[in-house]
Order: sequence, then C-alpha cells, then structure tokens
Amino acid sequence: MLIRSPKDWELSESAATPEKLYRLTHRREFLKTLGLGVATAAFLPRGLLAATAGFPTKVNPAYRDPALKPTPYEFVTGYNNFYEFGTDKSDPKPNANRGWQTEPWTVEVAGLVGNPAKFDVNDLVKQLGGAEQRVYRHRCVEAWSMVIPWDGFPLAKLVALANPKPEAKFLKLSSFVDKKNAPGQREGNLDYPYVEGLRIDEAANELAFIATGIYGKPIPNQNGAPLRLVTPWKYGFKGAKSLVKIEFVAKQPRNTWNIMAPDEYGFYANVNPNVDHPRWSQASERVIGGEGVFGSRQRTLMFNGYEKQVAGLYRGLDLEKNY
Amino acid sequence: MLAKLLRSKVVVWILIVLPGLWPLWPIFVSHDPSVLADPLKFILHHLGFVACLLLATVLALSPLRVLFPKWSVALALNRHRRLVGVSAFFYAALHFTTHLVYEGGTDVSAIPKILQTAVKKPFQLTGLITLTILFVLAVTSLHVFVRWLGGKKWKMLHRLAYVAAGLAAYHQAAARKIFPMQVVWIFAPLVALELARIVKLRMAARPRPAAPAAAT
Repeated sequence: MLIRSPKDWELSESAATPEKLYRLTHRREFLKTLGLGVATAAFLPRGLLAATAGFPTKVNPAYRDPALKPTPYEFVTGYNNFYEFGTDKSDPKPNANRGWQTEPWTVEVAGLVGNPAKFDVNDLVKQLGGAEQRVYRHRCVEAWSMVIPWDGFPLAKLVALANPKPEAKFLKLSSFVDKKNAPGQREGNLDYPYVEGLRIDEAANELAFIATGIYGKPIPNQNGAPLRLVTPWKYGFKGAKSLVKIEFVAKQPRNTWNIMAPDEYGFYANVNPNVDHPRWSQASERVIGGEGVFGSRQRTLMFNGYEKQVAGLYRGLDLEKNY
Repeated sequence: MLAKLLRSKVVVWILIVLPGLWPLWPIFVSHDPSVLADPLKFILHHLGFVACLLLATVLALSPLRVLFPKWSVALALNRHRRLVGVSAFFYAALHFTTHLVYEGGTDVSAIPKILQTAVKKPFQLTGLITLTILFVLAVTSLHVFVRWLGGKKWKMLHRLAYVAAGLAAYHQAAARKIFPMQVVWIFAPLVALELARIVKLRMAARPRPAAPAAAT
C-alpha cells in the first residue's frame, strides 16, 4: 500500500492543509492570536476569538504537537456524522442550523455523585476555569481521519467537580432529544437519545475532553454544540454530541451504536489497527482534505497515537474481545 | 416521441455516460465541502450507485415488455438491453478500480493485500462476485458466444444477472452503517416487476395451456 510509516505520533507531510485563515499568517502568529486575542482582532472575523460564548481560548502547548496539521475548517464543519440531522455527511450542516437552539443550554450532572447539579453551559465553563485549546487526531470508525483544534476543558475537571461516590464506576453521557428540530430523530434512524459511556478512569484520563469550540470559535451546531465529548484515542462515535446529561453509574451503560450492531461496535471503541471492523480493515485511514489527485491514506496508529497516555488503562484487557 | 428518442443508440449512450460525469459538479463547480473532504470516496460510491442502477434497469426491461407488450417505450428500451447490461459491468469495473486506488493509491504492489482483505469480508466479497458475474455476462454478450453456447445454455448463464442483482443489493446496503433506503428504491421496483411478470405469465398459462410461450 502507499503508506508511509510515520514515527510514533507524527503525521506525514501529506496531512491536511490548514484552514484558509490559518494559512494567512504563520502558524505561530495564528496561535499567538488565538492565545492573546485582541491584538489582531481588527482583521479577524468577529467570533473567531471566542470559544463558547466569549471565553478566550488559551492554547495548551502540551497538546499542540507541531507535526499535526489541522484539517481545514470547512471540512471539520462540513463533513459530519450527526445522525440526528441525517445520515449523509453533508446533512448535519444545513439541518442542524434550521432553528435548532443550542443557547441557552443546560447540562445535568447526576447519579452517584456528591454534587449533583444543573449547569448553564457558560457558567460551567467559567466555573472550570475557562477554555483551553488542544489539537487532537480524530479517527472515525469508518476509516477516515482529521486533525482538529478543539477548545474546551478536560473532562477530569468536571469529574472532580461532581465528586463521584466510590460506587460510581462509569459515566453515562446522554445527548439531546428534540424531534421537532432533529429530522433523524423523527425518522428514528437510531435509538435516541444518543448515549455513550466511559469507565470512570477513562473519563479522568488527561486526554478526555469536553469541547465547546473548534478553531477558537464556538463549536458549530453540526459538530455537537454546545458541549461534546472528545476522546481522541477512541473512534469518533464515542464523542457524544450536544450533551444534556452526564450520569455517574455503577454498571456499564449500553452505548447507542453497540445497541444497534453489537458485533460491529463495542463499548470501548479504542482505535486499534489490529482489530478489523467486520466489513472493512482498520489498519489504515483516509486523510480528510488529503492532498493529491487521489487524496491520501495513512497508517492507523494504536490508540490513534495516544498509546503513551492511555495504554495503562487497558492492561490485561483482551482488546480483540473488548473492541 | 419518447419511444422514438429512446430507440436511438446515441440517446441511450448519452443517458448512460452522463451519470458517470456527475461527480464533476460537486468537485469542480459547487465545491461541496462534504465531497471535497474526500473526493475519491464520493466518486467510489457514485460509480457503485450507477452500476446498481443500470443493473436494476437492464433487468427491468424484459418484464416491462412482457407486462406492457404494446407500450412503445418498453419496446424501444428493449432494443438496448445489451448496451445497458454491458455498461452496468463497465461502471462496476470503474467502481472496483476506484476502490483499488482508494485503498492503495497508485501502488500496484498493494493490490494483493487489498484483494486478501476483500475476500475475508462478506461486504467486499459480494461486490467482487457481482463484478465477476457481470464480467462473464459482458464477455458472453458477444454474438460469437451466443452462437457457441446455444440459446438455451446462454439464457441459463445470463440468469446469473439475477444473482448479481441480489448480491449488489446486499453489497450496497452493507456499505453504510445503517440500512440505506436507496437500496429499496433501486431494487424494489425490479422485484415488483418480476412478481407482476410471474403472475401475468401464470394467468396467461392457466386458461389455455397451449398458448404460445411468452418471451422472457
């Protein structure tokens, strides 16, 4: 196969070109702009400096690998799986922006916790110390990938705030239900609400993230506004969008795709090039926005390149059975 | 008027070639980001879609003629069965070629590995079998083979087209994470026409067993 063998986490040069705006200035300047805000605001479109509802994003350099080239904004926000708004990649962008309101938005923290509460999203972000930007690889179970600069906060902060009881072993994250505004929910193409789950130690891992923005802008509706789970070492379907409830529970919750097709989608959904999907190989992936006439493909990395951070979570677990 | 148009080979050729050019629109004209994200994937799916459409179309032609023997459009279309059938193979072959490039780029040495994977996955294997059947049917559609095999054998062989259609429907459905309705509206009319043909032939056969056999 025409596959390079990039070192460990490194992405090949053929990886996506950055967004148009991103190209305008040198990458460093751009990042500085995102970090420091106001200085260059004059020639940047309004809203660029806002994360969610006006929170300035600070780039977290620990999660800003310079070898990763972000996928252009138009692809990150125009090529989406969000079945609530249709099953084609082109559906969510128009359909999620026909009057579906994502602000104001309330999210509930419930279950086996010391501090159950309902939060306004903006209050929550403020309470957790604002947003930071991290650039993560994103690998879809359909064997394509992107690199996305997410803004948001580590899920671990929310777990700490919730103060889980010792019997809480899992998180159950539920998305919204709004049949009036979500055509896919009217059709019933999946079981709704969309539910995902994490083990509590996975949720507390440094990489687990709740996104409130992309590219320093508020996260668009089609990407799961205003709160969306991001677990970069897992397949994209783990990243439940537009969360309304985060419940701490004792038993492993069933996640939506696992209910739909248990032999194809598991609870863990860890990116693993050695365990195939029954219908296609997971050994490599198409690069969204890849260069060249035929686009490009690259080798898929174990845990999507985050082996160092997460492999410890799964020691002794049969990853072939627990796919 | 329509029948006259459809009798023309040129018109049918245009109808067959045009859908293949469709991807040029979102890629070069409307710049649809959901297509430009991975243009080759769009081309891959589109070619497979057209192949399915043409396969369902060619199989629908003979029941149409049986059901509506006096309808000039059905008769006109039936003049082009071979052309439509061969073009279904042609699109399927393009679809497969695109798959090879989609998986392995222009590296020819990647092909054995791609085929190995294909054979292991029912989703991909059904596509490969369909292509093989269509290849055999396209080659044997030459007059030489009709004569060489004899009408009866040739007809039996070409009934494999129904097997190909069934496999293609499965293959198309399995390409998505949840069942795509597209498969229904491509193949359900064909099933309905076939059932109607069977009913009609049975009814015709019952009162007068000596009636001349209807063309199939």
